[in-house]
Amino acid sequence: MSKQEMFKDRNISEDYFFLDIEDYPTTPWEKFKRVVKRSLKGELFVGLWVVLREMIKFDIHTVQYPEEKLPIGPRYRAVHEMKRLWESGTERCIGCGLCEKICISKCIRIETRYDENQRKEVGEYSINLGRCIYCGYCAEVCPELAITHGGEYENASEQREHFILYEDMLTPIDDVLNKKQREFQGFGAITPHEDERLKKTPLAY
Amino acid sequence: MVKFTIDNIPVEAQKGETILEVARRYGIYIPTMCYISKTNPCASCRICSVEVEGVDGFVLSCNTPPTEGINVTTNSQKLEEERTNIMKLYDVNHPLECGVCDKSGECDLQNKTLEFGIARQSFSAKDQFREVKHWNLIDYDPSLCILCEKCVHVCNEVIGDDAIEIKVGGYKSTIVPKDADTLDCTFCGECIAVCPVGALVSSNFKYSANAWELKRIPATCAHCSAGCPLEYEVRHSGIDGDQKIYRVKNNFEFSNLCGAGRFGFDFDAKALPHQKIAQKAVDALQKADAIEFSSIITNEEALILQKIKEKLGLKLVNEDARLFKNFMESFASASGKRLYEADLEEVKKSDAIIVFGTQIATDNPGVRYAITTASKQNGAKVSYFHPIEDALLQNVVTQFVKMEAGTEEGVAALMAKELLKDSKLPKELQEYFESLDEGYLEAESNVGEEEFAQMSVFFKRAKNKTLIAGADLFAHPRAKNIAKLLGFIQRYSDYKVLIVPKEVNTLGVSLLCELDEPVEDGYIVGYNTKGDYTISSFDESANLVVPALNQQEGTVTSIDKRVLPTNVALAFDGVCLNDIANLLGIEKRYTIDYTKELGRANEAFADVEFDTLENFLGRLGEDIRGYKLKNSDVSVNFSIEEVEELPEFNGVVVYHADPVLQFNAYTAKTAQLPKENTLRGSKQFAIAAKIENGEKIVLDLGDMKIERVFELDEDLKGTVAINPTFDVEMKPNRYRFEKSKIERVQS
Repeated sequence: MSKQEMFKDRNISEDYFFLDIEDYPTTPWEKFKRVVKRSLKGELFVGLWVVLREMIKFDIHTVQYPEEKLPIGPRYRAVHEMKRLWESGTERCIGCGLCEKICISKCIRIETRYDENQRKEVGEYSINLGRCIYCGYCAEVCPELAITHGGEYENASEQREHFILYEDMLTPIDDVLNKKQREFQGFGAITPHEDERLKKTPLAY
Repeated sequence: MVKFTIDNIPVEAQKGETILEVARRYGIYIPTMCYISKTNPCASCRICSVEVEGVDGFVLSCNTPPTEGINVTTNSQKLEEERTNIMKLYDVNHPLECGVCDKSGECDLQNKTLEFGIARQSFSAKDQFREVKHWNLIDYDPSLCILCEKCVHVCNEVIGDDAIEIKVGGYKSTIVPKDADTLDCTFCGECIAVCPVGALVSSNFKYSANAWELKRIPATCAHCSAGCPLEYEVRHSGIDGDQKIYRVKNNFEFSNLCGAGRFGFDFDAKALPHQKIAQKAVDALQKADAIEFSSIITNEEALILQKIKEKLGLKLVNEDARLFKNFMESFASASGKRLYEADLEEVKKSDAIIVFGTQIATDNPGVRYAITTASKQNGAKVSYFHPIEDALLQNVVTQFVKMEAGTEEGVAALMAKELLKDSKLPKELQEYFESLDEGYLEAESNVGEEEFAQMSVFFKRAKNKTLIAGADLFAHPRAKNIAKLLGFIQRYSDYKVLIVPKEVNTLGVSLLCELDEPVEDGYIVGYNTKGDYTISSFDESANLVVPALNQQEGTVTSIDKRVLPTNVALAFDGVCLNDIANLLGIEKRYTIDYTKELGRANEAFADVEFDTLENFLGRLGEDIRGYKLKNSDVSVNFSIEEVEELPEFNGVVVYHADPVLQFNAYTAKTAQLPKENTLRGSKQFAIAAKIENGEKIVLDLGDMKIERVFELDEDLKGTVAINPTFDVEMKPNRYRFEKSKIERVQS
């Protein structure tokens, strides 16, 4: 076999076998015969019987959403959360604009300004959740772990405006003060032994 | 020519070149921190050190010229260590705030820190409180400053403001305003541009966007004829996503920008629904007798206007360009060349400069910076002939010759006689100069033999001489004769003449349009100026609003005789001149389709497609923008008129000149630029006009009255006051010195 033939040869496994598929019916009479054959096989009643049997058993495994909800994985990417600093409760976002830059569906908009304390203040921050594809790039690029994906996946609404509320994404100040803020455990997260790994800067004179 | 090797590559140095310049020319990398091509080397960073075979220690490549046969090594273990140590010292206590710093992403310190792999701050010094300084349009954060001295050098050597200096104090050293509490300068913002870190930033831009978010649009500055290259940096603003210009940057390594270019970028036009109806403009044009327009347009627009003129048979009126055209024609008939010879590069290289008939520092900052560069780097001597002393060029001007207002013709004749005294002149001119009534001219103009004798002492050793002539002359009643005299100076002396056009595209319009005399009455359509029907990009109340110069593609013709492309920084929702022309049956899809037809309209231009025009400076500062106009020969006419009786300007005389950072209605519209529209005069003027500081007055110029507040300016001398024109529409055919009446406003 030449190289080209080897490349084109799709039969990569010895275990390949061909399915025994009947030819498609072509004449109307043959088509009619196939319909009758399939309908009168009795398989329909098998299905109906299973449903009836399970109904009588009352042993149902269906999750009763919205009364019941399944726990979701910690790395699940749902509606974003804007985190606050543990120490002070101020917002972690420094307004670097990297999330806005990297966003491939261009749903993040951010405006910053020079505030009266001579610091960079984030004036406007919005994510258009109606357009977001939840790819997670924003969380990955964030240098401050300020934006992460949370587990809040229920974001149906009658109005598009509801998809953009920053206040909904921001961790409530009370949660931080009560140490309820959840840290993201994914890429870039603070590792459990971070304290030991820290090196002192020479500023300790 | 010096031959030597860098990293075993044989190289050749030209006279006056340093090792670093040669290396850069050959594409060999030597890291630098404080080096900036347009100034003398600061030599403060020592990162550019190299090793020279047989020389102990390191040699600074930035300020050392090579000698024949040396072998230079740019990289070795020792050099690497040295440079890494310097970088470590730069990083001492440097705030770790790259995430919010404005410079992050385009920061030299950041780049070099990464380049040398410095992962931690290994040294420290006791940190101290360093207050952030707010200097009007500029903010200075001393804790970010690495004291590279670039800003100080640029301010002193290129701009000429000399407004900042280093306050030496070891680790406490900072940049401080020179001899003042706060920064008092022309706010060109060049210090912001050259700052390698985020220490000097624009206070308006501060913390509003990051380098990586901004889209850079190469363009040409729209404010004066210098045609400086710049980049508009745009980004969406707000949630709705309208584009906005956030700041303007320039290639600071080789070019300069004045404050109007840097901070005056928000002059874009917005059209209301009723200002977008092109058909109304077409109707107006069809019944119009003339189109009156300003020179603040592109070459393509000028060509479209010319085509509309041909199609509809109306008149084109643009006094600014027509006077300039007449001036240039007279000039050409004497010099034998269609255009003047010098350009800004030529001025920078000069060692003798005469400035005549312009207040150049505010008329054209580009020329001002070129003169400053020549003075500081070549020790050029500058003679400045004007009735009013130019405060901004005080440190640069060697000889200020105070002449009387209105006597330009006499001074030009005397100057021509002086500059041409050793040249071989044709008989007509010899006779002309012999028959000059020097005694009378000297007495009336106040410029005499003494001044010229002194000038020739200053210019004794000069090799490259330039004469800069400007806007005072164009509207002078005797402009033609002055132009002829200047033309002869260019033809028969070693002086190269630079004539400074007034507006951004005066030169282009004067070449492309056939211009008519002003129309006394009749229906006038104004294009970028007021008319019976106004089409304008500055005037919000215009009948039809067209895009401003930062909203359209096209080319403008600069003082360097270059055709420079400019691009769309912001979108414009409305109609442009081309749409109107299309409705009139002059059909082209885009305005820039006319770029390749410019050559057909005037042979100085070339038939080049807009999209093939480049708009950048080369790696070594070569100007690759656009193309140069062809300067062709024209026939010489030796006839020259006798100097007329010189006029006398007595009583209350004002000079129409804009303050720093103001040029036209575009700059008047911007948010950041100061709009000082006071009438400024000396104490002497105040006494003569019987007015006091802060008094409200009405300036009566005969056919127009302007309300102003009088400001007593201690720096001014003499009896002429300066009246700004950027905020009033003033006909450009007015001679810039005017006798006027001043009335007090009774409050």
